[in-house]
Amino acid sequence: MGEVEKTFIGGLHEQLIEEKVIDESQLDPDFPKLIRKYGGKDVMTCLQCGNCTGVCPISLKIDYKTRNIIKCCQFGLKKYTLGTRWVCATCYRCYEHCPADLNPAEVMIALRHIAVREGIIPPFIKIAATNLVKYGQSVKPDPEIDKIRKELGLGKIGVEHPEFGKVIREIGVLIRATKYDKLIGIQEEVKA
Amino acid sequence: MNSYVYFFGCVIPNRYPGVEYAIRWVMGKDGFNLDVKDHPEFSCCPVPGIFYSTDKDTWLLLAARNLVLAQDERRQVLTVCNGCLASLLKATESLQDPKAMGKVNRVLAQIGKKYTGIPQKSNEGKRKVFDPVKVRHYVEVMANDVGMDAIKAKASRPLKNIKVAAHYGCHYLRPTERTTFEDPNNPIMIDNIVEACGGTSVDYEDKLDCCGAGGGVRSHVVELANSLTQDKCTNIAAAGADCIVTGCPFCLLQFDNAQKTFSKDGIPVMHVSQLQALSMGIDPISLGFDTHHVSAHSLLRKLRGM
Repeated sequence: MGEVEKTFIGGLHEQLIEEKVIDESQLDPDFPKLIRKYGGKDVMTCLQCGNCTGVCPISLKIDYKTRNIIKCCQFGLKKYTLGTRWVCATCYRCYEHCPADLNPAEVMIALRHIAVREGIIPPFIKIAATNLVKYGQSVKPDPEIDKIRKELGLGKIGVEHPEFGKVIREIGVLIRATKYDKLIGIQEEVKA
Repeated sequence: MNSYVYFFGCVIPNRYPGVEYAIRWVMGKDGFNLDVKDHPEFSCCPVPGIFYSTDKDTWLLLAARNLVLAQDERRQVLTVCNGCLASLLKATESLQDPKAMGKVNRVLAQIGKKYTGIPQKSNEGKRKVFDPVKVRHYVEVMANDVGMDAIKAKASRPLKNIKVAAHYGCHYLRPTERTTFEDPNNPIMIDNIVEACGGTSVDYEDKLDCCGAGGGVRSHVVELANSLTQDKCTNIAAAGADCIVTGCPFCLLQFDNAQKTFSKDGIPVMHVSQLQALSMGIDPISLGFDTHHVSAHSLLRKLRGM
């Protein structure tokens, strides 16, 4: 396989347009299998009808086309696919409109699973996970909001209760059990 | 009558305390007096855009831990956030598979917990049959368990002349096999609540579109999220709405924060519970509108008939 048709590459990504030629060394034939391992359905069933792209709020906005991503998965363009930004809003519109019952949103989620295991971890993942192991919640408590809570007569938030230490310990146990802390590199936070 | 346990999630207690106040007020003795209590040990649901996206095993364990707490109370989980609803509903569904449940319980044993579901009453004594823990959403509880007639009867200060743009949010509607309480292509519950409160629900273009925040888009590529919100707000402004009402605090946060970036005034945004509380005659000072970025003054003035 010397050349991939321009029509397929067109409008996909500047890098690919420049490269033009994709040789076999860039293709990973086991990529669809890997996607299945992380909960995606078989991307080979995709008909390339484009319904997913037509209803995708992100595809309508920027140069990110759901159908093209699925096509890249079929070809096994692992490096390129994993390099795309995480812009799927998981609104599941594509899922509702997919005649092949592929659920592209779940494929995107499987791609994120693979990306994380390849060391591609956007900073917000670490921030949210750190908040979870520290405060039991993904959003960091804000002292200003706490003042307003007091004024309104609302109770303390979870982490301010003395018995919440038990919850933090339990979360730590669960996160260590799946080695999630090592996976995304927050071992220090879980220990502390 | 159903009994519930509050599941406020992360955004409401830490960013919009006024919403928490409104929900407690509407559900409590000043409102519909429902059987609902707190549980101090709930953690993050966990948020699907982070944990379900990166490691499903961790996600299921953390969700199952929360579900066990509700299961031991024999209560339904009352979520007030679309993200919590999606995460916990999906978890109860995943745990229906005995293999997945066994795997989760082997780890949960380390913290002295076990997920079984809630035993059916009629089968006690014989072989036990379990139902999955019920996960509910505030909007759907209001529509199904409280009912529009009761909401109407309690609306002592109906929101006359107030035009409301309802925003449902993706995870309230989809995937459709889990959130089966409404027609995903023609949802009506928030609109009905608005009308029962005396307001007018206005139709606008692309009403069921995403706010832009979900799935980590807001955290990852904020400009993209904001541009989606801008499209929605343009349509909402064209319909002449006085405020945006949503059942999801993350959509609320997105509308509230994004509007600062592209307009000076913006359209006030609030949670369904805040709108209900207003129609039930609460003092607006308790609704914490000062923590919202878009000022609610224009709406409150109109309410006072000024």
